[in-house]
Amino acid sequence: MKRGARGALPLALSASASASALALALAFGFALALAFVGALACVGSAQALAATGATTANGAASAGGAVDARAAVDINGQLKDPALQSRFEHITKQLRCVVCQNESIADSNVELAGDLRRQVREMLVAGKSNDAIFGFMTDRYGEFVRFSPPLEPKTLLIWGAPFFMLLLGGFIIYRVVRQRSRMPLDDEPTPGP
Amino acid sequence: MWKFLLPFAAFVGLVVLFAFGLNPKRDIHALPSPLIGKPAPLFTLTDVLDPQRTVSNGALKGQVYVLNVWGTWCVSCREEQASLMAISRQHVVPIIGLDYMDQRDKAKQWLEQLGNPYQAVAFDNDGRTAINWGVYGAPETFLVDGHGRVIYKFISPVTTEVWEHEFLPRIDAARRDAARRDGA
Repeated sequence: MKRGARGALPLALSASASASALALALAFGFALALAFVGALACVGSAQALAATGATTANGAASAGGAVDARAAVDINGQLKDPALQSRFEHITKQLRCVVCQNESIADSNVELAGDLRRQVREMLVAGKSNDAIFGFMTDRYGEFVRFSPPLEPKTLLIWGAPFFMLLLGGFIIYRVVRQRSRMPLDDEPTPGP
Repeated sequence: MWKFLLPFAAFVGLVVLFAFGLNPKRDIHALPSPLIGKPAPLFTLTDVLDPQRTVSNGALKGQVYVLNVWGTWCVSCREEQASLMAISRQHVVPIIGLDYMDQRDKAKQWLEQLGNPYQAVAFDNDGRTAINWGVYGAPETFLVDGHGRVIYKFISPVTTEVWEHEFLPRIDAARRDAARRDGA
């Protein structure tokens, strides 16, 4: 009986060792993936900030549609001013088509997306800032229309989660490694009584 | 202790998440309107039945009214039309129609065939009024109170049941509120 119990011990040990190795690998992979997402998010928000450009008071734009933007558009439907066209492309890629919900209004063929692209174009030609245009859209359709939410107290959880997860992953790795380093090696016979 | 508690906490967390996420009653495409509690956007558009006449919601100031967004291309609006006819016969509040992304003659034909529950129908030819109201489909129905504020938005066809449970209590509350203010 005693012998049998001793014999089973190395097996149990090696099972727990491989489980912790798996946990280690999982935690590491998780942390790596999250670090990547976090880095992407940083780059994205930096780009958004850089592209915001000139900023007027706030997003409470009144009716932005009075200007006829047709004169400012060439035969290919692009804005003649390349700076405006690049802002147009940036903004329409950042706005969600609320009908299809996973497409931007730049990509969507839905009629409403076309109406919203016209609205963005007109507001750009009228000299509105990016902030004013995003404000116009969120006033009407809610924060949901923005693919990347602005960094605000209430969005802190979204922006902070990747970094929190990274810390958590690091902590898990630390714990697992420390626990493993205290374990006896599998091939060392445990000293008998 | 932790070995037991942590997985258990994770389990409870997942149960809560799934209870919310997989709830069949939750319409994942319905978006909360940021317009609730805000002044209703004003519009002045032509009447769908008569291009010479205009329809403006500014004229309804001080009244509780309903704005119903529809279009002849919208399949579920056809089914909604019967309920709207029944609701309009109750004469509780004026129902204003907003004909969205549509053609005038098709809309006229629709109203002749299915009946006209609206006090007036505004023709939103270029979709600008719909954008101002945050409309992203049809049917959508807004309730505006006596102060000209949007107090409720309903997405998908209004049925008589929805009318009784969602609209009537809010209409009563809005009227009580207005009466109290007048009295004070």
